[in-house]
Amino acid sequence: MDIGALGVYVCLFAALYFEVFLLISFFENRPAKKTSSLPKHFPTVSIIVPFFNEEKTIARTVQSLLALDYPKDKLEIMMIDDGSTDSAGAIAQKLASEHSQITYLYKQNGGKYTALNLGIQASTAELVGCLDADSFTSTDALIEVVKRFEEDPTVMAIMPAMKVYRPRTMLERMQAVEYAFGVFYKKMFDNLSALNVLPGPFSLYKREVFTKIGLFHHAHNTEDMEIAFRMHKHGLKIVNAHNATVYTTVPTTVRALLKQRTRWSQGFLENLRDYKYMLLNPRYGNFGLLVLPFGLFAFFSGLYSAFYMSYIIVSTVITRTSDMYATQIPLHITAPHFDLFYVDTSMMMFTTLIVLGFTVVAIVLGNRIAEDKLNPFSFISYFALFGFIAPLWLAQAAWGAVRSQPAPWR
Amino acid sequence: MKDWRKYVLAFLITGAIFGTAFYITSRLDAGRIAEIRATQEAISVDLLSSETQFELLGNLDCSTIAEHPILTDELNSLAAQLAFTENRVGSDSSEVILLKKQYSLLEIKDYLLMQQISTKCGIKPVSILYFYSNKGDCADCSRAGDVLTYLRQTYPDLRVYSFDYNLDLSALQTLIALRKIKPELPAFVIGNITPIYGFKTLDEMQALIPELKDLATSTSQTSKAATTTQ
Repeated sequence: MDIGALGVYVCLFAALYFEVFLLISFFENRPAKKTSSLPKHFPTVSIIVPFFNEEKTIARTVQSLLALDYPKDKLEIMMIDDGSTDSAGAIAQKLASEHSQITYLYKQNGGKYTALNLGIQASTAELVGCLDADSFTSTDALIEVVKRFEEDPTVMAIMPAMKVYRPRTMLERMQAVEYAFGVFYKKMFDNLSALNVLPGPFSLYKREVFTKIGLFHHAHNTEDMEIAFRMHKHGLKIVNAHNATVYTTVPTTVRALLKQRTRWSQGFLENLRDYKYMLLNPRYGNFGLLVLPFGLFAFFSGLYSAFYMSYIIVSTVITRTSDMYATQIPLHITAPHFDLFYVDTSMMMFTTLIVLGFTVVAIVLGNRIAEDKLNPFSFISYFALFGFIAPLWLAQAAWGAVRSQPAPWR
Repeated sequence: MKDWRKYVLAFLITGAIFGTAFYITSRLDAGRIAEIRATQEAISVDLLSSETQFELLGNLDCSTIAEHPILTDELNSLAAQLAFTENRVGSDSSEVILLKKQYSLLEIKDYLLMQQISTKCGIKPVSILYFYSNKGDCADCSRAGDVLTYLRQTYPDLRVYSFDYNLDLSALQTLIALRKIKPELPAFVIGNITPIYGFKTLDEMQALIPELKDLATSTSQTSKAATTTQ
């Protein structure tokens, strides 16, 4: 066996180990079904909506917050305009004039984290949340989050279950499957007390989090990831409210998707570099022992496998072409002929299929947890596109991290 | 469950899954080897039967023999299966080496029988003895194999006998000694002429075998197949 193939086996073994580990966690602690019960106490909540040139989606985002099943006098919506140059600011001002729940604040453009910090400092609520201006909440999302806070008073921050808003194209459907997979592994990370991100769409914090560990940092344009790292550093508990659903719009072009994912992936690498002492450190539990090392391993194994496959394909094409040139055998097409004898039953094929099979199981479970429905076309889109696109953003992020160039957030 | 137990359990399950995959792969490879062996045994019986039939009939029934060429298709199919299995299992596998020895013996027997028929019946088969090495010391052997495979597909009546030069088989080594094949591979013996060494392109090879012009080609079938696949 050549060393290249051995490397792929190591990647496959690690991927399978990770999936098996998560499945054990799933069967050990299955996610609870949604109930119609209400919280005993309704704390005051401020939802910060930072925005910069989001004229297409800002109104819908705020409408979804206004439609939340929550006492109006307990819910404040803070629209923080980070120096928009389109009509988003005017839309926000109009909404603020129509609804007393809404506060509009303007600041010069300084990045998302500065807008969030302004909102946190301006609010006085017990719970502070954020909602990206391209996302929409389900009406019961806040109730579900508050119930989760009530269930466990030691919880300091909560992230919801995220779904793609009306996926239509192949690229959007690919992302819908990815998000379903995300619902599964985020819930499993919750079981392991090892959530690694508090995403922009509707993560909520107890106010004391910011008094204990400070406000958001620039954090390589991934402030939502860095604050999760910082909370683990200070032993503050993060959980997932899988019954709180948030819908998000996703990039509709490959170029936009690459930009977004490069930012996320590069942010992961750079935050990990800043918090490297957590890596494989049992003091930080499963976060340090499993989530961080496997995140890093997944990053590089994805890159390695893609390069290895590309190398095999390119070298085969070059060899075949040069052989044809050297032998002078004309290009000829032979009739397809199926013979069971020649079916690929190699170890590589089996283990790859097993890993893919486990991935499908995880996606289906994530879909079930989120009470969503993915159609077969979404799965086809995922398996047809993801393997080709993901290595591009991984490579771009690795290159960016090596050169330490911050990836733009817009 | 305590976390460390979960880490260990996940490792054991993953190991078991990989172990099972390895076991299934090995079983399937063993099945392939068994299939090749069964085919070889069938060919061996057929060859023996043909030899016996030839001995019994002498040269009285040359027309029957000429109409039923000996096992070319079966040997070609076996060669393809053997090459696939060698690639899957590895050329240093004792099972593969044994199969290759048996295959080489069948080829030699077929070649000798064809020569006898040729002498007695006046048939002039076009045959090539091809000697290769897959020890990594013959950079052109793969390309030479491609040329011969293409020729065999184009001219179904062309008889190509390929031999691993380094195979430790006394009958093969005797053939190598009789034909005075030097270890300068790839080497070809076309008809009964002296060995030719070194890689030959398709055109060069066709020029070396003028008898090919008299053989039927599969061009019409190939064209038809190519058309239907489109």
